[in-house]
Amino acid sequence: MDNWKIEATKHTPDVYFDANNNVLELKGESYPENIAEFSAPIFSWLEEYLEQLKDTAFVVNIELTYFNSSSSKMLLDLFDRLEEEVAENGKNITVNWIYDADNDSAEEYGEEFQEDLESLTFNLVQKDE
Amino acid sequence: MLESLYNFKKELNKRGIFFCFSGPMSQDLLVEIGDTLKNKMKLEDTSSSTIIKVFSMFVEQTQNIIHYSAEKFSNQPEETTELSSGIIVVGSENDHYFVLCGNMVDNESVNTLREQLTTLQKMNKDELKRYYKEQRRKGTPENSKGAGLGFIELARKAVKPIEFNFQEVDGNVSFFSLKTVI
Repeated sequence: MDNWKIEATKHTPDVYFDANNNVLELKGESYPENIAEFSAPIFSWLEEYLEQLKDTAFVVNIELTYFNSSSSKMLLDLFDRLEEEVAENGKNITVNWIYDADNDSAEEYGEEFQEDLESLTFNLVQKDE
Repeated sequence: MLESLYNFKKELNKRGIFFCFSGPMSQDLLVEIGDTLKNKMKLEDTSSSTIIKVFSMFVEQTQNIIHYSAEKFSNQPEETTELSSGIIVVGSENDHYFVLCGNMVDNESVNTLREQLTTLQKMNKDELKRYYKEQRRKGTPENSKGAGLGFIELARKAVKPIEFNFQEVDGNVSFFSLKTVI
């Protein structure tokens, strides 16, 4: 698959897929008025990507300083979809939840996603100062 | 009118209110006001953890107005543009920030809202966490334009239970107000 990108806005994160390294990155803040409108292209890209993904390790880096409650639901849907791919098709997928040391909200939300996931590797990664 | 504006400002100051907006609200306004509030709190040396929590309250409460206010302006019959009206207030008292919002709601929705908020008021942090996760797992509730998690999010981030009030305006609508403390 090719590199792919959605530019960040003030209320939506940067979305970037690095085809050389098989890394998808979401970085910034997420609090759009209509989350479905923002996330629809991400989910349709993901379906295409998972379809062709074989044994290659796929890494998803999430680095969101703030996200609203409807974005939180979108993230859970994303992780559930990835978990399904690991559990049912044995795919090699890792999520890194990246947060700043002084952002206790982000850390807490990361821990809560981690608690709700079983098969998917979900790492909490504290950023260096 | 001119003199009462100054009295109004004095009244806001007396209550620790440093931001107050009343009128048609939009996502664009929310973004700009949110930025300004973050900068203001940074200048006061507020910790970034607190800034994020206050900002989060501001976003959830303002998006609530945008999605659910019963006071709307639209260019009927096309209804391509629609603006929702409400009040949003941010201030500090006793070393805590607070966010206050208000908007009109249909009288038919008052009972449901009151029940929802009363349930949240009675929950402790662990119960709120469990409830949040449960609701997030469920599909988006009917009539909800977000994930239906906004109130739970507010209750979880607040340092004390949400306060709210309904004042009946006429046979159709009531004024709904809600306060969260961070």
